[in-house]
Amino acid sequence: MQESINIAQKSPSRSARFKRFWRRVKIPLMFMAPFWIVFLAFFIIPICYAVYESLYKTVRSGLGLGPPSVVFAGFENYAQILHDTNFSTSLLRMLLFGIVQVPIMLVVALILALLMDSAVVRFKTFFRLSFFVPYAIPGIVAALLWGFLYDPGVSPVVALIHNLGLHNFNFLGSNSILWSMANIVTWEWTGYNMIIIFAGLQAIPQELYEASRVDGSTGLDVVRYIKIPLVAPAIVLTAIFSIIGTLQIFSEPSILRTISSNVTSSFTPNYYVYNVAFVNNNFQYSAALAVVLAIVTFVFSFGFLRLTQRQAGLE
Amino acid sequence: MPHSSHRLIPSTSSGRLPNKLPNKLLFSIFGVLIITLSACGGASSAASSGPVTLTFWSWVPNLQPVVDSWNATHPNIQVKFSEVTSGQGGTYAKMFTAIKAKNAPDLGQIEYQFLPTFEGTGGLADISQYIPAGTSSKFVGWTWNQVTQGKAVYAVPQDTGPMALFYRKDLFTKYNISVPTTWAEYADAAAKLHAANPSCYITNFGATDPGWIIGLMWQAGGRWFRVNNNAWTVGINDTASQQVANYWQGLVDQKLVKTDADWSDAWYKDLDNCGSSTWVSAAWGANTIISNAPDTKGDWAVAPMPQWTAGGQVAGNWGGSSTVVFKDSAHPKEAAEFALWLNSTTQPVELMVKGAQLYPALTSELSSPAVNTPSDFYGGQVVNQVFGQVSSQVDTQFQWGPTMDQVFTDMNDALGAAVSGNGTLSQALDTVQTKTVNAMKAAGISVNG
Repeated sequence: MQESINIAQKSPSRSARFKRFWRRVKIPLMFMAPFWIVFLAFFIIPICYAVYESLYKTVRSGLGLGPPSVVFAGFENYAQILHDTNFSTSLLRMLLFGIVQVPIMLVVALILALLMDSAVVRFKTFFRLSFFVPYAIPGIVAALLWGFLYDPGVSPVVALIHNLGLHNFNFLGSNSILWSMANIVTWEWTGYNMIIIFAGLQAIPQELYEASRVDGSTGLDVVRYIKIPLVAPAIVLTAIFSIIGTLQIFSEPSILRTISSNVTSSFTPNYYVYNVAFVNNNFQYSAALAVVLAIVTFVFSFGFLRLTQRQAGLE
Repeated sequence: MPHSSHRLIPSTSSGRLPNKLPNKLLFSIFGVLIITLSACGGASSAASSGPVTLTFWSWVPNLQPVVDSWNATHPNIQVKFSEVTSGQGGTYAKMFTAIKAKNAPDLGQIEYQFLPTFEGTGGLADISQYIPAGTSSKFVGWTWNQVTQGKAVYAVPQDTGPMALFYRKDLFTKYNISVPTTWAEYADAAAKLHAANPSCYITNFGATDPGWIIGLMWQAGGRWFRVNNNAWTVGINDTASQQVANYWQGLVDQKLVKTDADWSDAWYKDLDNCGSSTWVSAAWGANTIISNAPDTKGDWAVAPMPQWTAGGQVAGNWGGSSTVVFKDSAHPKEAAEFALWLNSTTQPVELMVKGAQLYPALTSELSSPAVNTPSDFYGGQVVNQVFGQVSSQVDTQFQWGPTMDQVFTDMNDALGAAVSGNGTLSQALDTVQTKTVNAMKAAGISVNG
C-alpha cells in the first residue's frame, strides 16, 4: 500500500507506467496463460469460426461436377433452419426424451444419494464407487456395450426375452429405440448426479439434524424438511447439466445406427449437425445448425434456472 | 463454505518472487504451448528431391503386401498405406474433412458412385497429363466413362461389382428348392424355405446400405440420374425402381426376409446361419462371406441373379471402386504412376484378386487363370466364371449424380422408416426424389423438371 501511494505521487511517464503495470499482471497472466490459450484455441476460436462459416454457402453450377465456389449468404442458412423439419423433429424428440428421462434419472440419483447418506446402509464406499463406475466408462464404449445387449443377433438378453414367449420384442424397434437410448444415458449418468447430490447432503451441518431430533421428527421428516430443501441447489445443478447433456446426445445414436435401421441421420440435433457436416459435406449449413443448437441449449438451461431460482438459492 | 487459504501466495509481489525468472518462465510456457499446438496442425509438405513418400487410404482387404511389392521396386516413390474403414463407414467423411482442411492424403479409394460427388468438391486432381495414350482401352469400357469428365481423368478404375446370386446350396438341396432364375421364383423360394425351417430366411433386406437396392434397381432398368441438355434428370422414383421397391415391400410385409441393419453383427451372423440363405451381391461379396461365415465353407454357390422376365439376361452392379489422386497432393505425377501400376499391371491386380476377391476392371485379367481359379470355399466352383458372364450384362449407361452423399443419407433414413412400418418403400423413393431435386437446386445445380 505504502509503495503504491508513493508511485502515484511521482506521476511517471507512459512507459514507466506500463512497466509497472506489466510487472503487476505478469505473474497472474502466467498462471492464467495455460487456461486462456487452450480456451481460446479450442473454444473461442472454433465458435467464432463456426459463426463465420454459417454466414457462407457453397454454390455449384451447371452439372455440379466442377470445383464449387463459396459465397457470402448472410442469414440464408438460418432461414433454411426455420423450415428444416429434420432439425425441429430431432429437437422435439429430445424434448420428449428429456421430459421422461431426466426426472427418472434425477429421482433415482436422489434416492441413491439419500440411501448413501443414511445410517442404515452398509458398505457405503463400495456402493458409492460401483454407482459411479458407469460414468468412468467412455460414452462410446457404453453405447457399444449396450448395443451388444440390444442387438437381436448376438444378445443373450434378447434371446432370453424371446424364449419367454415375447417373440416380437425388440430393443431397436422404431418405438423402442429412443427408450433404449434413455436407458443407456440413465445408466451412465445416474451415478455422476448421485455424487453431486451426495456431496450436497454431506455439507448439511449436523446441528440441524440434532435440532430436528429434539423437535421429535422422524427419519422421513428429516428427508422431507431438511435434506431435500437443502440439496435443492445441487438438484437444480444436476438438472441443468442433464438438460444440456440431453441436447448434446451423440454417441448413442451414432453407435446404435450401425445396428438398427430406426436411427435416422437426424435422430438427435447434435448427430444431425455431425451428419450434415461430415457425411453430407455441407459445413456451412452445419455450422448454422450448431449455432442455433447452442442458442436453444442456452435458452433451455437458463429458462430452467429462472424457473427454479428460488430452489437454486439464487433468490 | 470451507475457509481455504486464499493467501498462500502473497498478493503483492514486491520483492518476494524474483523479477527475472517469470519473464523466462513466461516465454517457455508460451513456447511449449505454441509448439504443442502447432504439432497438432498437421504435416507440412515440402517438395524436395530424393525419395518421395505418398500416403494412401484404402479399405481393400490384404492390400499391404501389394503396396510392399511396389515399395521394394520403387525406392524413390515410397507409398505409405493406411487401412481405413469402408467409404460410407466413415472414410468419405474423413476425406471430405481432409479436402476442406487441405491435408488430404495423396491417394485414396473411392467407389464409382461417389466419384461425381467428390469431383463436385473440387478435391480431386485431374491426372490426364500423366496418363499415357492407350490406357483407356486397357479397362472395361464403362469404367473409364465413370472416371472421366470430358478430357479430365479423375481416377484409375480398379474393380467392378457385377451382381449375382450367392446361395446356400446345401439348404436348397435339403429342402428341395430349385435355384430361382426369376424374381417370382425367388419369392416362392423365400416362402418355401421359411415354411420348411422357420428360423431360415431367404435373405436380409438391409435398409442401411442403399448401394445394394440401387444395384437391384439398376438391373430392373431404373435410371436415377441422366444428363439432358446440360441439366440433370432425376429418376429415383421411376417405374423400374418402384417395381423393385414394391417387390421387396411384399416380402417385408409377409415377413419372409429379415430386416437387420446392413453390416451389423446380426447381419454378419445371418450369413453364418441360415438367416441369409441367399445374398444377391457383387463380385467382391465373395470375400465378405469367406471372411465372416467361415463355418459355411463348402455350402455356398453362385448363380446369375434372378430376372424380371423369364429367360432374361440382365445384371445389376453394386460398387466397384477406383484409385484417385487428391488435388492437394504435392506429388501428383508419382501418385498417378502408382495408381496406374496398382490397377493396370498384372502382378498387383492378381494379388488383389487373390487377397480381396476383387473382380478387376483390367480387361486383360478377366480371362487370366488367376481370376478363374476354382474356390474351395464355394465348393470348387469357379466363381468368377459367373461374374465374367454377368459382367457383360450390366447396363453400362447407368449414371451417378453429383450429390450422392445427400442421396445415400436420405435413402438410409427413408428406407429405415419404411422397413419399420412407417410408410412403404415406394413412398421412400418419392421422398428421396423430392429431397434430392430440392437439394440439387439449392446447391445451384441445373435440374430438369
